[in-house]
Amino acid sequence: MSSPIKRRRDGRYVLRLDANARIVLANLAAQLPEALASRDPMVRRLFPPAYTADDQTAAERDYRELVDTALVNHHTLSLETLVATAEADSLSEEEFGAWLDAIGSLRLVLGTRLDVHEDMEAPDPQDPMATEYELYAFLGELQYLMVEILAEDLPDEGRPEGPL
Amino acid sequence: MRVPFTRRGRATPSGGPPSTVTRGAPRTAPGGVVPPETAPVGDIETIVDQATTSDRPWLVIVWNDPINLMPFVTFVLQKLFGYSKEKATSLMLDIHNKGRAVVSSGTRERAELDVYRLHEHGLWATMEQSG
Repeated sequence: MSSPIKRRRDGRYVLRLDANARIVLANLAAQLPEALASRDPMVRRLFPPAYTADDQTAAERDYRELVDTALVNHHTLSLETLVATAEADSLSEEEFGAWLDAIGSLRLVLGTRLDVHEDMEAPDPQDPMATEYELYAFLGELQYLMVEILAEDLPDEGRPEGPL
Repeated sequence: MRVPFTRRGRATPSGGPPSTVTRGAPRTAPGGVVPPETAPVGDIETIVDQATTSDRPWLVIVWNDPINLMPFVTFVLQKLFGYSKEKATSLMLDIHNKGRAVVSSGTRERAELDVYRLHEHGLWATMEQSG
């Protein structure tokens, strides 16, 4: 079966997603910016600590002060881009990247709420978490296919000049 | 991939003893190593520690977590650090199998930037000074 995601010759990305899936994505993405702005506990997974050791309290505080707003803005912009382009026929490279980021954020939030672990089985359909898990699994499939396409454009041998 | 739940409540796993260098303190001792005899008694250890810890590189660690997909982690490492597919895949497998891997190292400022870029991509990354 061919992937429902294609990179066209003009560089734009086409996602074969039905209208319902697009509405679900847009609705999910539309919920997060408010949670990010109010730093709702549900988004805590998007703000990992910067220091391994917990004796670096001052450094950790400095890091948070320095980057938290930028991190919120970065994720918010991606989510808003997904909402704005949810029904678009094709996406620019920048928009496609925003989708990947927004879908990643949604997976982290949903996955944390579901308390997922490795090799987790899908819950029973009667389980109250079943619908949410289905969404989580759908986002995972989408992320997998998007990464597959994007990875094709990265040189296997890496960039000789190193980090960006 | 798994979240390091044991991270809080224990000392740095491999970062050695806690540093006495506080943020804002000079990161390289002015004029090199201070002769111990000129230091006030009781401060020798602090000064020697400052002179040595400030030179040690900072390591950027990515931790295993149960949410991020393995190909996504490989992709992010290739994209951010310019690693080959082989190197990024090997780091991703270390993260997956050993729980964590050092993905870059450098000055404190460089490490903070790398941690931030990894956080932008949703990876669980932290930094620590090499032991």
